[in-house]
Amino acid sequence: MNDKQVQRFLTKYIEATGCHIVEKSPAHMTVKLSPAADRELTNRPYYWSYVDRAGVEPETMTYLFVTDGQRYDEQQLRQAEAETEAAAELGEMEQAAQSALSRSIGFVHGSITGVRTPREDLYFGSRKLDQLFEAARVGGSYVYLFQEPERRSLNPFDSIAYTAWLGVNLRVEFACDMKREEIHSYGISLATGNIQENFHDRLAALRLTPKLPANVHTARNGLTLARALTVVETHLERKLRAADFKWAEGAARRLDEELVILAHYYEKMLESAEEEQREAIATQYENRKEEIRWQYEPRVTVSAINCGVFHLEGID
Amino acid sequence: MTRTVKEGGMGRLHPLVDLRMDRSWFEELQARIDRNGPWDDWTLYQLAMEAEQSRRIESFEELQCIRFLNGLEPMKHQTETAVRVLHDMGGRAILADEVGLGKTIEAGLILKEYLVRGLVRKALILVPASLVLQWVRELNTKFGITAIAQKRAHTWNYDVVVASIDTAKRDPHRELLLGTDYDMLIIDEAHKLKNKKTTNYQFITQLRKKYCLLLTATPVQNDLEELYNLITLLKPGQLGGHGEFASNFVVGKRMPKNEGQLQEALSSVMIRNRRGEGDVKFTKRIVRNIPLHLSKEEMDLYEAVTAFVKERYEESGGNLTSMLSLVTLQREVCSSRDSVFLTLVNMFKKTAEDSPVRGKIWELIEVIKQIKSNTKAEKAMELVRESDGKAIIFTEYRATQEYLLQYFRGSDITAVPYRGGMGRGKKDWMMDLFRGRAQVMIATEAGGEGINLQFCSRIINFDLPWNPMRVEQRIGRVHRLGQTEDVQIYNLCTLGTIEEHIVNLLHEKIDMFESVIGELDHILEKFEKEESMEERLARVLLEARDDQGIAQGIEHLGHSIRKLAEEPEEMATESLPEDGESAPTPSRRGSRAARRHAINRMLDGASTIVEVDSP
Repeated sequence: MNDKQVQRFLTKYIEATGCHIVEKSPAHMTVKLSPAADRELTNRPYYWSYVDRAGVEPETMTYLFVTDGQRYDEQQLRQAEAETEAAAELGEMEQAAQSALSRSIGFVHGSITGVRTPREDLYFGSRKLDQLFEAARVGGSYVYLFQEPERRSLNPFDSIAYTAWLGVNLRVEFACDMKREEIHSYGISLATGNIQENFHDRLAALRLTPKLPANVHTARNGLTLARALTVVETHLERKLRAADFKWAEGAARRLDEELVILAHYYEKMLESAEEEQREAIATQYENRKEEIRWQYEPRVTVSAINCGVFHLEGID
Repeated sequence: MTRTVKEGGMGRLHPLVDLRMDRSWFEELQARIDRNGPWDDWTLYQLAMEAEQSRRIESFEELQCIRFLNGLEPMKHQTETAVRVLHDMGGRAILADEVGLGKTIEAGLILKEYLVRGLVRKALILVPASLVLQWVRELNTKFGITAIAQKRAHTWNYDVVVASIDTAKRDPHRELLLGTDYDMLIIDEAHKLKNKKTTNYQFITQLRKKYCLLLTATPVQNDLEELYNLITLLKPGQLGGHGEFASNFVVGKRMPKNEGQLQEALSSVMIRNRRGEGDVKFTKRIVRNIPLHLSKEEMDLYEAVTAFVKERYEESGGNLTSMLSLVTLQREVCSSRDSVFLTLVNMFKKTAEDSPVRGKIWELIEVIKQIKSNTKAEKAMELVRESDGKAIIFTEYRATQEYLLQYFRGSDITAVPYRGGMGRGKKDWMMDLFRGRAQVMIATEAGGEGINLQFCSRIINFDLPWNPMRVEQRIGRVHRLGQTEDVQIYNLCTLGTIEEHIVNLLHEKIDMFESVIGELDHILEKFEKEESMEERLARVLLEARDDQGIAQGIEHLGHSIRKLAEEPEEMATESLPEDGESAPTPSRRGSRAARRHAINRMLDGASTIVEVDSP
């Protein structure tokens, strides 16, 4: 994610959670958080439990989100210079006092009036962005949506047929001592059992709403949700079986090699060990074997990023 | 992100590979349908997917952590080290770079990579107590890793915790840690684990860990056994069983043999980068000895103290051990009257009430009272004022430190203290002040691995330690990789005192200041085999009849050190013929040095030379 993508992400999050943008440039955004966003982003669980228990009006925080640090700092510097020029008109005494102040506490922005606006630099890998990612995950896991009809039918008694789809975005992790991931997005028509790949891309191009639009009827479901799950799993598993397993063979070989070395070491040790030490050595050996399996054993794990039920136009 | 797998479908995907399908999402979806909600927001749903796509790990090989780092540009050898540990070593390695090449950065890169890939969640970092906060800060600022310094029992619950090994191995922490599965364990200054009989060693053996990094600049110091023990912590059996290791790789008592094979075996668990001979781009050291004449009053005190010391020495019949503290008195006069005064008062308290010595001490205190100014402090102030830059002043004595702080404050120069007894937090604070608005730092301690003062390029040695290693430590705080200026070193030297002789020895005779001394610790170790440097110097001073005698004694000391410095090369060739079996047993005296040399040669053979520019 580059800084533009980060800012786009931030903008969408802020709009979706109803925050208020105080100030904005291509390099930064000052945002008064909405209560929902504040709960997710400010790490103030005690404050929020107080608000909830006491039922008082919450005072949310304002953040300065910087998406292009270098550019923002340059902007600030230019602004500071302009203000210094303006300050040149001040008396000598005041000027000396001000420069002393800025030496010891850094540049003081004239507009800051007591309210703390913490600065957060958002870049890919930064903790605040990770927190935004997490907030998106928490607030965007399970949806139930309807497609907005393409065009209003002229006849108010016309009804458009919709199909319910189970949509799920799956993360597949191929792990040994290293890891690779794939993301698969599937939609399964609950009417026909038809399965579509890259389902998320299809959804992204549509306008979706949580409310059932007027003049819409849903086709009868031909299969249960549980059946749909089986369809997805079977489909994915077949796909994964055809994948390349060299990585796993490599890891299994490394695992075997390590086990051989270990066996050589500990078996010799056990042979020559005194009776009373033997048990401790055997335990250590077992623990070490466990560690090595933990480290190298190849495995594939499938879990969901998010999922939902989507009612889309047409029957397929 | 929670990625716990609630057991759903499970089966074999391949003869070697299990497939686990998590179905918790499905159960939750079903439950929400049954309850008719609540439902999440469509925009956030899309953002969650976008976030996931942006941080997907596309390949096993490519280093991912780099794109997660902002502002840190690792050096080439650091990245290469990380890649080797990740791909060739399966995340278990000894990082043995020479000092200053960035082992911490390498460890940080590896940890970050595993965190990003979701292969590490829980990590434990064990370091000497003095380095805990530094590690926390580096992980946080350079790597964006939320690391916590261990303080109370509940801090162990955090994902990435930095603690001192001595805390960790003690109850009640011990049980807690032994009951935890650590995805990654990092141990800094790991050479402290060279002895497998220690509780530290056994504790580390018992910790359950997946990946493990041991960091040390000196994987072997005296004995190949140390290296074997370190490797056994990581990968037991890597160098064979204990007996096999001894018979394959060790000759006589402790000399390495089959070097090539050993180096190859080592390279599968250890990475050692060292600087090439030519590309150590340190800035220059510019040394100035500042000769000073003590004021009449100060000189009176010096002579009175010297006479007092000699008297006590002769009374004791030449017993040296009790005399060291007396020699300190002489050194203190050269520093400040405050420090002499303090020592005298303590001495007075310890002396029997009816001893005639008490009276003599009183007389000295009377002499002290005559002193109104401090010649050295005035000079130090003058030196500080010569430039606007920052300066660090080192002194051996607490009382002098206090005095100087007062003195500088009285002249409107911001000075901060630094000493060994300060808590970690306070040390950090002082360091920050010095980096910020204080012009001068007055320090009694140069040790402690955590002090990096590259932003300061002027050192004033208000007085000098007698141990050359400590002198080098002082300079090393400032003159290190990252220093962009030439370093100015001022030695304040009061003429006609023992200080003059010491400066002479350190500067002229063993050329202490101008060069970066790599071998010094080896040389000193040999030199101090029977008696420490301090003791030897004290002996020279006490036994000499006159100034001439002292000069001769010092000359002799300097000569012996020089000789030792030139020695190891010849000794190694004598006692290390290619065929280890027929090696003559090295003489007792030379064996230690020769062994050290052989071990170093072996290590060098197992290391990679890197080019490092001063950043």
